[in-house]
Order: sequence, then C-alpha cells, then structure tokens
Amino acid sequence: MSKNKVTGSFRRRFKITSDDRWGWLFIAAALLVFIIFTLYPVFSAVRTSFLKYKPFGSQFIGWKNYTDTFKNALFFKAVKNTLVYTVVVVPLSLLISFSIAIMILPFKKGTQSVFKAIYYLPGIASGVALSVVWLWIYDSSPSGLFNQVLAFFHIPPQNWLSSSKTSMLSLMLMALLSGQGGNIIIYIAAMMGIDNSLFEAAELDGAGFFKKIYYVVFPLCKPTTLFLLVTGVIGSFQVFQNAFMMTGGGPDNSTTMIGLLIYKNAFEYSKFGLACAQAILLAIVISAISLLQFKLMGVDVEY
Amino acid sequence: MKKTVMFMLLVMLAVFVGAAMAEDTITVMVPPVSGTYLDDIDVWAAEFMEANPDVKIEVIKTSWEDHNGKLQTMAAAGEAPDIAEVSYSSIGSYVELGVGIEIDKYLDAERLADYDQNALDYMSIEGNVYGLPLYITIQAIGGNKEMLEAAGADIASIQANGWSLDEFMEVIKNGTNENTFGFVFANAGVTASDFLNIFGVSAGMTNAFNDELKYTYTSDNMLKLLEAVEAMTKSGYMPNYGVEAGKRMVMCQTGQAMIFGKAMPLFELNFKRNNAALDANDGTAVADSIKADYAFLPVPTMEGMKESCFGSVDGLIALRNHNTTDEHLKNVVAFLDYLCSGDRAAVVDAPLLLEPVCKSGREAYPKYEETGLDEGNVAAAAREISLVVAPPAGVTAEQSANAKLLMDETIVPKFQALLAGEITAQDAFDAIKAAALEVFDESDCVFGAL
Repeated sequence: MSKNKVTGSFRRRFKITSDDRWGWLFIAAALLVFIIFTLYPVFSAVRTSFLKYKPFGSQFIGWKNYTDTFKNALFFKAVKNTLVYTVVVVPLSLLISFSIAIMILPFKKGTQSVFKAIYYLPGIASGVALSVVWLWIYDSSPSGLFNQVLAFFHIPPQNWLSSSKTSMLSLMLMALLSGQGGNIIIYIAAMMGIDNSLFEAAELDGAGFFKKIYYVVFPLCKPTTLFLLVTGVIGSFQVFQNAFMMTGGGPDNSTTMIGLLIYKNAFEYSKFGLACAQAILLAIVISAISLLQFKLMGVDVEY
Repeated sequence: MKKTVMFMLLVMLAVFVGAAMAEDTITVMVPPVSGTYLDDIDVWAAEFMEANPDVKIEVIKTSWEDHNGKLQTMAAAGEAPDIAEVSYSSIGSYVELGVGIEIDKYLDAERLADYDQNALDYMSIEGNVYGLPLYITIQAIGGNKEMLEAAGADIASIQANGWSLDEFMEVIKNGTNENTFGFVFANAGVTASDFLNIFGVSAGMTNAFNDELKYTYTSDNMLKLLEAVEAMTKSGYMPNYGVEAGKRMVMCQTGQAMIFGKAMPLFELNFKRNNAALDANDGTAVADSIKADYAFLPVPTMEGMKESCFGSVDGLIALRNHNTTDEHLKNVVAFLDYLCSGDRAAVVDAPLLLEPVCKSGREAYPKYEETGLDEGNVAAAAREISLVVAPPAGVTAEQSANAKLLMDETIVPKFQALLAGEITAQDAFDAIKAAALEVFDESDCVFGAL
C-alpha cells in the first residue's frame, strides 16, 4: 500500500505535461547543438587521449599519452609560461578595465557609448589583422614604432619578439592594451546597477572618491569581478592566437603556451592522442582553478 | 497517367544514380603554386576529363596560408583530398597518420622513370614513393651586384666555383657601412630554421640523417655551424635584431643590405620589376628602393667541407580517404602523373625559374622558359641544383617525425636564442645533443666529425 503511494507521488512529480513537451521542444535545438558541438567532442577527446590516433585504424595505448606528457619538459615549460601569463595579465586586465569603467561612468550616455565603442573596437577586429599591426609595432629594427618611442628617451632599440627577455612581456602588453573592451562594458553595466542612494549615503558619511569606490563600488561589483576573473583565467589558459601569430612560441620556447603546444601536437605532428591528453589535463587544471576561485571569492556572492 | 509519370521519374532517377555511380570523382587540393596555377589546373582537369570520360575532377583551391592546416585537418578526419600539394618534409607525417599511398604500385615503371631519381628520393619514405615532384627549389643567398663588386666580390667566380666562409666574411665586412649591413638573413620566429637549413649544408650537413641513417645534428659539424653563426651575429656585419621574412629583400632593394637570405633564383624577376617600376615612376616600386641588379649566390662553404646547396622538393601526393578503392587509385595516380609531367610541369616551373625534374617536362620547358635573364644567375642556379643532395634512402616515417620534432622543439628555439645572443654556440649544441639523445639511441647519432 505504502509502496503504491510512493510510486503514485513519483509519477505525479515526473509526469510529463503538454507544457513540458513544449519546453523540451523549445530547448531541443540548443540542446542538440550543445550535444553535437560540445558534449560529443569532449567525450571523443577523452576517448582519443587513450589512442594512437589514425583515421583508418587507431590503436589503444592506455595511459601512454598521459605518461608521455608528464615526461615532456616542454609541457611543463608551456604550463609555466601559461601560468606566468595568466598571473600577470588577468589581474592587471581587471584593474585596467575597472579603472577605465570608473572613469567612463560619470559621462552622459552618448559620451559613454563613444568610449565603449572605442575600447570595444579591437574586439571586433580580426585577431590576425591585429597581430600584423602589433608585429609592425614590435618591429625590432630601429625604425620599429616602439623602438622609435624608446629612441626618443635615448633608450637603445629592443629585440621585442626575438629575445626571450622581452618576448613574453610583449605578448602581455599586447593583451593588456587591446583586449579590455568586453570587460569595460560589463563593469559599466554592473556599476550602473548600483543604486544612487548608496553613493548619497556614503557622501553623507563623508566618503571621498576612493572611499566610495572601496566601500560601495568594489563590493557591489564583486559578482562581476568574480565572473570576469573566472572567464579571464579560462581564456588566458587557452591563449593561443597571439603566441601563434606573433612568436610561434619562440624564442627558445619562451612564449610556448599550453594551447599552442596542443595545437602543434595535433596539427603539425599529427599526434592527436597526445594533444587530446594534454587538452584533458588543461581542462582539469582550469576546472580546479575555477572551483578554487568560486570557493575563495564566491562566499558572499549571490547570483 | 499518374503511373506513367511515376515510371518516367523512376527511370530518370535510375539513369541519374547510375551515371553518378559510374563516374569516379577525384578531388585535388592545391594552393597557387605559381602565379596562374589555379587557373591552369582547371584547364588541365578539363583536358584529363575529356580523355577519361568516366572521371570527374573537383579542384579545391586554397591559399598558401591555410593550405597545410586544412590538409592536415582533412587527412586526420579521413576526408583528405585524393591529391594534394605538399612539401617533401611533411610526407612523413601523412605516412605516419596512415593516409599516405605508395603510388609506385599504381604507376607504370616506364612513367615513373620519367622523373629524376634525385627528386623522387625526396618523395619517398623507406624506399616507397608517396608522390611525384613538381620542382626542386634551391635556397641560398642573393645580393646587389653593384654593391658586391664594390666590396671586392668576384661574382662570376663565386657563381661558377663557390666561395669559402672566410671570403664571405671579408666581403660582408667590406660591404658594411653606417647605412648598409653586409648581410641580412630573415631570422624572426620560425624563419630561423631557414638559416639553419641553408647554412647547414655549408657545414656538411645536407640532411638530418647520413647514409647510415644516423642523426647528424649531434656531430661536430653542427657545433662548427653554430660557432660560425655566433661569429656572424657578433661581427656587426648583420643586424643584431630579428628580421621578418618579408623585410629581407626589401632591405637589399633599399640599399640597407648588400647580401640577403634566404634567396632564390626567381628573385631576379622581383628586382627587374622594381627597376622597371622605378623607371616608370608609377608608384608601384618598393618605397625608398634604388635600382639594383640581382646576383644569385651560393652559400659559402666551411673549411674542409664539400660544397652543397640546400634543396627542397614540392610535389603532389596521393592520400587515402573514405572513398579510396584500388580502381579509384589507378585514376588518381594517372591524374597525379598527368599534373606533374610534360607541359604541366614546364608551365609550373618556368615562372619559378626552375628546370623541371622530369624528362617530359624538360622537353616542353623551352616553350615556356623566361628569357632575358642574367646568364650568370641562370648558370649559378643550374650549378646549385646539381649540388643538392637528396635525403638518404631508408629513412623511416618515425625517424622523419622525430627529426621534425627535434627541429621544432629544440634546435630552432636554441638557434633563436643564439641569434639573440642569449646563449653561446656551445650551450645550444649541448642542448641539441641532450634532446637528441632522449629521442634516438646513442648508436643512432653521429658524434665527432661527419
């Protein structure tokens, strides 16, 4: 008798109504795209990571791709390079975009839009075209743009992309100076959502510009900061295009990032199994760091 | 009535499907190998289809920028085109992937004999032929004739007999002044590998493996080469900063450099076009360029070494895909042979100023040959082609892949650091040796002199 009661309640709870059917129908397209273009490739990558991949007859080789990865010194160098890049670029990027958003906020809507458009412009330009412009800026000859600026201050020309002392710095500078548009727009949206009464209350308490930022803007933008931090770290770990276009990973592998290494293993050496193993390891690292970020920063964040 | 219409439709469908099934479709993927190649190949495909009505040819046209990436991706998915353009150095990766096809099984020995053995060796792995050559490119150095003569270079003698590294150093020293570098070589990024390949032959390293299939880049010759490069970069006769590939010839054309590399015979046409543009004053000349005659020069040879020239072969290979059958491969290889021989080879090679590498191509060559070229350059190019040493027979796909990995992951990066003056020749050599010993057994590497 009681078993029947439970089954009945279960059926009622999970009974598919006509509304449910419509719901499933509406999300079916998105679900299908997700399954085909995200879920299947992930499972396929996991499977491939255990294979010596060949399009006509792959061979199962167990954990070899993973053990080979851990034996490869270049993999660890690439991980180190990616970490250094992430640790420098992501926080600075947040700081720059937060500061610029604060500066844009007091303007009228029209002026705000002009600035937003200016900062977002590099985001809609082709990454390859941008890289070509930056290659010109970083031209190591005395006639290179940056070198001419240095010459103005009587500093000798630098071998920007061809010296391991400056190559990573060059990539970081490029990322910091051309990739803030999206962050700025998100920060401005978050700041515009802060109620004016909070600023008025802070002013009544005698808070100046910096105190208002510290006690009002910063805490209320924390969810946005957390979001940008997590997506920034994920994007930074996956950085590929700049290194590929600007330095090819050199000199002396000083700018070989993990994304570039994976690409080379797959598409230059046809080691798809090894590339998949490295991609899975990268996904695990990114997931762990993201979880850590949520744990440390997300305690008092509500969504 | 309805039944009749239905019957007719079914008949039409059957005819259509039958025709489609009887037709063998061959896909070819090529970049613009020469200026008019992408138009020419349509004509050749039409000619071949006319002679072989049961064959349909589809041409996939790519740009140089995306050709290799696209091909690699298609091959990995089992969807490779039947025929594709490749450089010989990438054949190993397709064989290793299991999509290479031994074309000698599908081509008559008589037809195969049309191709020069030296060029065929480049297209072979472990003695099996995987493709047919279109040309052997020779890569060396070139320069401004007038400046070279002013610096004391006997161009005719150098082109006819080669020169030593000491003679080269003396000339670039004389050619260096406050506005001009004696020598410039594109060395930024991955182009550093060109420096290594082209000057490697001057140190006796014509290939990554010797005839006994031992790895040569661990030999003392490599150290000698690295030391020579170190001396060159520290001499002040060449820029001590990274030079992009696109800038090297411009530096020579604008008088900022006397000799530049890498250079090929066909650059004579660039210099001639620029001179004509300067005469016409129509704004198409290289900015700030000067009128200059081009001299194609051999790479200097180090003491005690046999002169050689770095060569590379580009050609077409047959690849396996989901539609591959024995019958299909016969048609594929027949079309492959058609594209690489006779007038087709001559049409491709003439604008590159390269003589075809097959008998039938050479016979057709005079019809398309560029005229009005500098005789010294033509003779120097012919001499350099004769000095190219093909890779040894028997190199396995695995050896080839390991050599490429070592080149990309260790040798080029260390070479870049050497060019930037961040490590010494000895440091670079030690790193190369250590990395090579992780990949090859000690007994598979050459130590000491080659």
